[in-house]
Amino acid sequence: MSQNPPRPLSPHLQVWRWHITMFSSIMHRATGIGSIAGLAMVVAWLVCLGLGNEAYTQFLTLAASPLGLVVWFLLSLAGFVHLTGGIRHFVWDLGGGLQPKNADQLAFWTMALGVVLTIAFWAVLFVCHKVSL
Amino acid sequence: MSDHRDVAARSAQDWKKSAHHGAGTWLAERFTGLALLVLTVWAAWFAYEAMDIGFDKVRTLVAQPLNAGLLSLTLVVAIWHSYLGLRVVVEDYFDRNEGRGFLLFLVFLLSLVLLVAGLGGVYLVYQGGHVQ
Repeated sequence: MSQNPPRPLSPHLQVWRWHITMFSSIMHRATGIGSIAGLAMVVAWLVCLGLGNEAYTQFLTLAASPLGLVVWFLLSLAGFVHLTGGIRHFVWDLGGGLQPKNADQLAFWTMALGVVLTIAFWAVLFVCHKVSL
Repeated sequence: MSDHRDVAARSAQDWKKSAHHGAGTWLAERFTGLALLVLTVWAAWFAYEAMDIGFDKVRTLVAQPLNAGLLSLTLVVAIWHSYLGLRVVVEDYFDRNEGRGFLLFLVFLLSLVLLVAGLGGVYLVYQGGHVQ
């Protein structure tokens, strides 16, 4: 149908040697998709809240169960790692940290910060008895 | 159209088109991302406040105009950012002949459903909060 010659697509994983900026790039995409799943969960929460007490209670029965909390934890991890990955991209977009060594460090520390923020958020939730297992 | 010169001419047209639309998309990705950096801080605080306080208090909290407004804004910006991101994923891995157009339509549909459902939920709570 198309008369255009085939355009190149993104390179596939197997042609790359492993390095941390490549890993952080893959993680940025994966956590972005994970964050959309989280967004869908928040939307479901809002819809149930709008529908009434019964729907809301049913939602919480799932969402506040131990398995539900594990899912929320993973979704928040995706969200925070994507957020700090976004900071990394802003730094790069502004022309900073583009030397390979600095780029590697930035990739590591932004991902680490995402994990730290997630753990800190959940530590507060547990310490303040907002959630319990 | 298989002639090389036609392809080159077509390509140049695409390039020019991209110089206008592409820059807008690039900027929209950054501006929505920047806004989400701030909105996520608020959303994390809001999630903390709304957790484990029971149905009635959550309704009251969400129905407060500032909270309902910021929730709606966060939804709009986050869904816009998601839409742009998912488009990039589809465009990276699917050729035009491999159902790219259909997948892009699905991405649009998903974003629309999330937007309508999310804002609808906020609206229901906001209305209910004022009726009570």
